[in-house]
Amino acid sequence: MSDVSNSSQHLSIRLIFEYEGEDVRLVTQQPVDILTTGFDVTRTQREGYFVDTRDVSGRTLARVPARGAFQLGAEVFPEHPGEPITRVEAERPRGAFTVIVPVAADADHVSVVQVSPASSDAALPTTRATSQPSEAAQEREIARFPLQLSR
Amino acid sequence: MSTSDGTVIGSTQIFGTAPLNRAFNVALLAEGFTAAQQADFNTACGNFVTAFRSTPPYDELSPAINIFRVNVSSTDSGADDPASAGGTGAVVRTYFDATFGANGIRRLLVCNTTTALQVAAAQVPQFTVAVVVVNSPIYGGSGGGVGTYSLASGATEIAIHEMGHTAYGLADEYPYYAGGNETGHDHHPSGEPTEPNVTTNTNRNTLKWRWAVSPTTAIPTMSNPDCSQVDTRPSPVPAGTVGLFEGAHYYHCGGFRPQYDCKMRNLGVPFCQICRQVIWNRISPLATMQARPQTPITVLARYPEHLDVFAIASNGRTMSNWWDQSSGWAGWFQVQGGISAPGGTGSPITAVARYAGHLDLFTVGTDNRVYSAWWDVSSGWHGWFSIGSLVCRSGATVNVVSRYSDHLDLFTTASDGRIMSTWWDVRTGWANWFQLQGGVAAPGATVTAIARYPFHLDVFTVGTDNRVYSVWWDDRSGWAQWFPIGSLLCRPNSTVNVVARFPDQLDLFTTASDGKIMSTWWNARGGWGSWFQVSGGVASPGSPVTAIARYSNHLDLFTIGTDNRIYRTWWHDTSGWAAWFNVSGGVGQSGGQVAALSRVTEHIDLFTVGSDGLVYSTWWDGATGWAGWFGLGIT
Repeated sequence: MSDVSNSSQHLSIRLIFEYEGEDVRLVTQQPVDILTTGFDVTRTQREGYFVDTRDVSGRTLARVPARGAFQLGAEVFPEHPGEPITRVEAERPRGAFTVIVPVAADADHVSVVQVSPASSDAALPTTRATSQPSEAAQEREIARFPLQLSR
Repeated sequence: MSTSDGTVIGSTQIFGTAPLNRAFNVALLAEGFTAAQQADFNTACGNFVTAFRSTPPYDELSPAINIFRVNVSSTDSGADDPASAGGTGAVVRTYFDATFGANGIRRLLVCNTTTALQVAAAQVPQFTVAVVVVNSPIYGGSGGGVGTYSLASGATEIAIHEMGHTAYGLADEYPYYAGGNETGHDHHPSGEPTEPNVTTNTNRNTLKWRWAVSPTTAIPTMSNPDCSQVDTRPSPVPAGTVGLFEGAHYYHCGGFRPQYDCKMRNLGVPFCQICRQVIWNRISPLATMQARPQTPITVLARYPEHLDVFAIASNGRTMSNWWDQSSGWAGWFQVQGGISAPGGTGSPITAVARYAGHLDLFTVGTDNRVYSAWWDVSSGWHGWFSIGSLVCRSGATVNVVSRYSDHLDLFTTASDGRIMSTWWDVRTGWANWFQLQGGVAAPGATVTAIARYPFHLDVFTVGTDNRVYSVWWDDRSGWAQWFPIGSLLCRPNSTVNVVARFPDQLDLFTTASDGKIMSTWWNARGGWGSWFQVSGGVASPGSPVTAIARYSNHLDLFTIGTDNRIYRTWWHDTSGWAAWFNVSGGVGQSGGQVAALSRVTEHIDLFTVGSDGLVYSTWWDGATGWAGWFGLGIT
């Protein structure tokens, strides 16, 4: 069977953010020829930090996790086997993180968002059967940046 | 101490041959190496490759991994080493401004992560993770957006551990925050962590890694008797046992990890099975997937701009891929560690979307019991649990119908051929399996069902005399008796596919004993029609006939012909049946299936296993006609 490309081609961009506390700055927007796997395109309303591509109306087109962002502490590793890894609080969280987001034709801007659980009790359903839908998670936009890419 | 203190020399690929745009690309950046010390950096990178590749599951994932070194020269050698943190007091001029002693702790080695990410992006635009290698024999490292480690013995373990966070979102599994003597970390806060490798849930039936837990393993497997301390006792179970071990995610109690030990808990030990599975599911979608040759594929559209596809890999893994209009194809990933039963074409995954944010999956496992998993937009995947103790035919299909959003009906065949059913209702949970009105199916036959109304079911199969039988259920009258539909003799392993173009009409499609593609119909006014061959079509041995109705007066049929080519025909009420024709030159497997879906009226998506064992897809659009076949992976 011939293997021709799917006609639905998508542009991806790499974004590099720098943060101090929750002050976020987008320092790099770079088109990149790479495929984004489903592992990195979030389909669920789970808590954490994410980067969205959104259209002009604010509708989310794609969401990827911002892993390593807004770190509140750091790990200190033991020099000798058997000694524990420990953590220390950051004096003021600062650093940088990067994501690659698929950019649909109608993407207008990117938003850095924090998703929090709907309630403090986020335990899994207790029945062994299929689940009930739970309440929607809470979403907070931390920062918004226009996309500045020529397609 | 900045980028003025050095020069980016360039990048070199030192491992891997995967296409850059579909690979897990690691970029190693030199820090504190002078121009004359670049060979030392090259050696350090070689050592990293050796350590990385010998760490399971990376040892299995080489075809999708590339590693690059980015040579950067610094004015001085090493890194800052503040005396205030117990260091030598060295202050050096380096490109990424690395320093030991962050937070007053000498081993906490950090650098300018913004610069590191920018250099990595400039030199290896497709990099997945960036790691800064610091030219110092002093032990140190750190994580975050960029991993950092020194040349001290064993420090590569820091990079591999930190990659667990940055690339896969794995949690720390150690049970303390500051080594165990801290306060405020006796009990994990309530609520389930989102990370895949830690939990607060002690229910075996809903545990997020229950797919990996043996029924004979106690849950919890190890409990901490004194929550004011870290539990330092040895494991009560053999190494490698997956269960529920108390003490994880920085807390002595209430947080649990999957195995006694893991690289996310201690450096120098392997990743646990759950973390390995997460890593596998991050990287393997970048590669192609070999499917079971005749595996039936299931495709669903939870909404018109989204597809979920399910298939079984050649090694029995339960695999899924999805497409979204905004992001393309996601790549194949294993659903919750599932392995389906072999036998016949092998048990497929069947699936239903009771509503747009939910999926329910079914298959027969290697112990020949029926298993289900589900996905919900609010909580992700939850899998697999057995539904009762029914023992099925090896390779049996579990067909599912959702008459309304809070209800499921399942149909399959027991090991002795009895036709079995059960149901799930949101109010009552799962019912017991029961034999459907004494019915027994021919060896290899499947049981199909359709709900023309929320209060009505029609069920079809091939009986032991190789004739097509049906039975129906109505909410008001219960189950009727099985009755034969005409006298057609089928292949014993034929599937009877059914479409309801409107609620009072059924169209049936199957294959006769000589492979002829046969159809009949029923409607409320005229009852059952006679069987007839559809446009002279003959299917390859074992191939079913797939039918979809895009309109109430239109049918589209797909199958694999005796020449293993993929064929289509259609029926329209004004023009009748068209001749069969080959779809875009497609060739499938003898006995294979073509899955079809119309997510919008003037559009059809097709899926099948190609002659090379890969899953292929094409589509038809009313405006543009048939597209070419493409390998289904990641786009």
